[in-house]
Amino acid sequence: RSDPMVAAKISQSPVDLLGASWFLKSFKLKTKQQELLIRVSILCLVYVLAFIVRLFSVLRYESMIHEFDPYFNYRVTQFLINNGFYEFWNWFDSESWYPLGRIIGGTLYPGLMVTAALIYWTLRFLRFSVHIREVCVLTAPFFAANTTLVAYFFGKEIWDSGAGLVAAALIAICPGYISRSVAGSYDNEGVAIFALLLTFYLFIKAVNTGSLAWSLGSAFGYFYMVSAWGGYVFIINLIPLYVLVLLITGRYSMRLYVAYNCMYVLGVLLAMQIRFVGFQHVQSGEHMAAMGTFFLMQVFYFLDWIKYLLDDPKKFHAFLRIGVTSAVILGSVALGLGTASGYISPWTGRFYSLLDPTYAKDHIPIIASVSEHQPTAWSSFMFDYHVLLLFFPAGLYFCFKRLSDATIFIVMYGLTSMYFAGVMVRLILVATPAVCLISAVAVSATIKNLSQLVRAKSKSVSVGSGKGATSTKASSKVSGAMDQSLPFQRNGAAALLLGAFYLLSRYAIHCTWVTSEAYSSPSIVLAARGPHGSRVIFDDYREAYFWLRQNTPPDAKVMSWWDYGYQITSMGNRTVIVDNNTWNNTHIATVGRAMASYEDEAYAIMRSLDVDYVLVVFGGVTGYSSDDINKFLWMVRIGGGVYPVIKESDYLVNGEFRVDRGGSPKMLNCLMYKLCYYRFGELSTEYGKAGGFDRARGVEIGNKDIKLEYLEEAFTTSNWIVRIYKLKPPNNR
Amino acid sequence: AIHQFPASAAVLFFCIFVPISSGSVLSELSALQSQSPNGVIHLHDELLRRILSLPPPRPFHALVFFDAQKLHSKPDLSLATLRSEFALLASSFQLNNPNEKSQLFFFEIEFQESQSSFQLFGVNSLPHVRLIPPSASNPKTDSIPMDSSDFSRLADSMADFVAAKTKFSVGQIHRPPVISKKQIALIVALILIWIPFFLKKLIAGQTILHKKWIWMAGAIFIYFFSVSGAMFNIIRKMPMVMGDRQNPGKMVFFYQGSGMQLGAEGFAIGFLYTIVGLFLGFFTHILVAVKNRNVQRLVMMLGLFISFWAVKKVISLDNWKTGYGIHGYWPSSW
Repeated sequence: RSDPMVAAKISQSPVDLLGASWFLKSFKLKTKQQELLIRVSILCLVYVLAFIVRLFSVLRYESMIHEFDPYFNYRVTQFLINNGFYEFWNWFDSESWYPLGRIIGGTLYPGLMVTAALIYWTLRFLRFSVHIREVCVLTAPFFAANTTLVAYFFGKEIWDSGAGLVAAALIAICPGYISRSVAGSYDNEGVAIFALLLTFYLFIKAVNTGSLAWSLGSAFGYFYMVSAWGGYVFIINLIPLYVLVLLITGRYSMRLYVAYNCMYVLGVLLAMQIRFVGFQHVQSGEHMAAMGTFFLMQVFYFLDWIKYLLDDPKKFHAFLRIGVTSAVILGSVALGLGTASGYISPWTGRFYSLLDPTYAKDHIPIIASVSEHQPTAWSSFMFDYHVLLLFFPAGLYFCFKRLSDATIFIVMYGLTSMYFAGVMVRLILVATPAVCLISAVAVSATIKNLSQLVRAKSKSVSVGSGKGATSTKASSKVSGAMDQSLPFQRNGAAALLLGAFYLLSRYAIHCTWVTSEAYSSPSIVLAARGPHGSRVIFDDYREAYFWLRQNTPPDAKVMSWWDYGYQITSMGNRTVIVDNNTWNNTHIATVGRAMASYEDEAYAIMRSLDVDYVLVVFGGVTGYSSDDINKFLWMVRIGGGVYPVIKESDYLVNGEFRVDRGGSPKMLNCLMYKLCYYRFGELSTEYGKAGGFDRARGVEIGNKDIKLEYLEEAFTTSNWIVRIYKLKPPNNR
Repeated sequence: AIHQFPASAAVLFFCIFVPISSGSVLSELSALQSQSPNGVIHLHDELLRRILSLPPPRPFHALVFFDAQKLHSKPDLSLATLRSEFALLASSFQLNNPNEKSQLFFFEIEFQESQSSFQLFGVNSLPHVRLIPPSASNPKTDSIPMDSSDFSRLADSMADFVAAKTKFSVGQIHRPPVISKKQIALIVALILIWIPFFLKKLIAGQTILHKKWIWMAGAIFIYFFSVSGAMFNIIRKMPMVMGDRQNPGKMVFFYQGSGMQLGAEGFAIGFLYTIVGLFLGFFTHILVAVKNRNVQRLVMMLGLFISFWAVKKVISLDNWKTGYGIHGYWPSSW
């Protein structure tokens, strides 16, 4: 699988292949045409590679939707296809957030679902009869493949076509991107990274050409991004920052003016068509930077124009002083008034937590509880970028050495997103395209220099002819040095070239391995290694959800922790109390409170919510560690954030969370504990250990004698991963 | 000092029969409280004796911080920090609840001068904080010790403890700002004076900000900051190094397990990444301009060697840390 990859590397210097190009010569192609042919075929190979490397999950498991959020997206897509766009837009979903319900059309980013539906309708129109699930499963790989094309053009724009090819190859298999775009991971990010990169590319193209057409394109790219993912906020803050930097460094031009104004005005108007976003662009604090830059730009260019009209510098300076002061005062007064009157909303918690990373940990447990919102340790960077991390600073250096409007942009994109990636693990995804592009600059420029050295003897070959060989200052220095063409130097260059190829092939191996081992698991079906190295599959989730679908009344309400809400509505087709759309903290806290209370108190809470069934996920038998007991402290924290009767310290012993005999009495008798460990004391899980040995936590449980008073066990899956309990009806009085 | 215990118990016993009016003690405590700069009353054996001699229920709660000057030098106890946090708790409580000032008193007691009181409470390890409820008659059994988990978030968690065990809520903790208001004013004034000069220079294009290398260094620094996981260290408040549990004298620099890291570990790795990347830039842009060919070769060799070593080190550390053994993937079976 690494072959196309390496091929892509070689192609930096198309001339490098000349030795083998007798084949092409026999077609009587000119050098330029040969280069084009090689470039196009490499790009095609990269395109295919990007697609197939993401199919591991389908081969390993089956064509299925992964994880949590994708199940909601899938359910919504099914609804869209069955009922049409207008029904979808006005859909009020009464099956989630019981008894509140959720206005789906107004609270989601519809880009992904509409895209999948369009693909589905197109395929249907072409008489391919596919199931909607297959379309959904393959949407993310398809868009990842498209991203490689955008990366190629972007790389070409900021450096040269060689860098573009390398960037395409790097991003095709970069684990940081694969983690969110394997087949089956039907989530917003899958299309959003494509949209993000496309918007940036079109904007840079517009800045470089000053053409309205490109600018219009980037406005539409922005629209697509807004429709697909909340991460659009990154774009609407990065681009103004970039414009500001260009203004300050004196790199402003009419091109910039055209590009930004058209993109901003049209982009904002288009973005307002998404109901979930609505008027945020003119009202929310997160979008004010873009608007401020927009007005600043008008003032700036207006002053420039005045300067052109008044050729007396003294007059102009006086004008400048008055103009700038009044503009700044006016702007700050407007902002202050807007904020004070509540017209401009303050920043949201998620945004704060990016700027002040310790904010979420102290103030918003529901954000801090999500595993992908944790800060990033160095090993995660290594895991997701591998050698790209080594090339990144070199790429920065190269970009600084050849500053242009485009390289300034990519440096800014790289650094800001790198910082954010350090704050939250999931934002590694946003940084991936930038890292690939900047690394590609380093790889491409280095390899080009080296291969020129290797080929120094036959330097009569027209190196500077192809587009791909725009010689940099650096390479001209190198060619200056190679005029002496020492044999030793050529050998050294060849050795370095081999070293670079070795590193890149390690990268290819690492990426393939990571994709197959770490990122292709659907997490709805669990796999483990058996005692003899064979694979054991735990399909308990689906077992439980289908049991719900078959054996419970259609209007039954199921209570579970919010992680499983989307899956229960989508696969079990039953109403849930809370789900992964964490819009109502109080409701989630109520569920957390019920789980953390004693059974009788919990029963009262559950009755008030009309709950019929309670579902818990338990890993004590299989050793599955992300179960509800391990998530329990977050339930306590979130519950305690709203209901102060729940106190974290009641569930801890000396600051330690324990489920064994030394656990706190409240812990050993709360609802969650009882539901997870009911009848567990009788079960022997491991040879040589007493009954009730919890394999996920490696301890013998502390309360084996559990009696349920208000609930009864309804169903437990074959490996005990999912346990469902039914509420007993209230006693007759 | 065990022999002192019966003596003080006898004193206590004796005092119960000589009731002191609660009013006089209360007014004395209030006076001491207002004298103290942070509202923490310094407790000694005699004062404690008088407090305990009041017949329960006493009209106030008492929260006692057990301190020992001698142990302030031990960093792992962090007594000094806890003591200042305790003072912060006291002053915040008194500021937020002016009407309940005389219903909850904050005390500190020093080991050297009040050993018998330590005996009385049976305190033999620090840090230790105890709440004496109004109804307590036996200081050892009726008072409530603060768990170590209640120290974990310093004053905030102590406030939670107070709220949980008494009916008072401390309210917001008023931490003194890192720099005082006067200093802020001074700094703002200095900046305001400096801005016009700076702007003039900026327009003339003479500042350090016009140097490309400063931006480059900044960019490299941000990169270094991110990949070294510095943000992780800040958010999780990770220490630079950790003592080994089995072998206390030894330091652990690298933590095994993928979701965690120590401070020094991240910086070491970030440094290795950066050095390799910078070498690449250095070789291709600066080294080629060096005239002396031998120097060129030597530096190149050295650089290659260091890069090779760094990459190898990073990869092996990563494999060790995460436990993943990366290997070529050949589709023989799945």
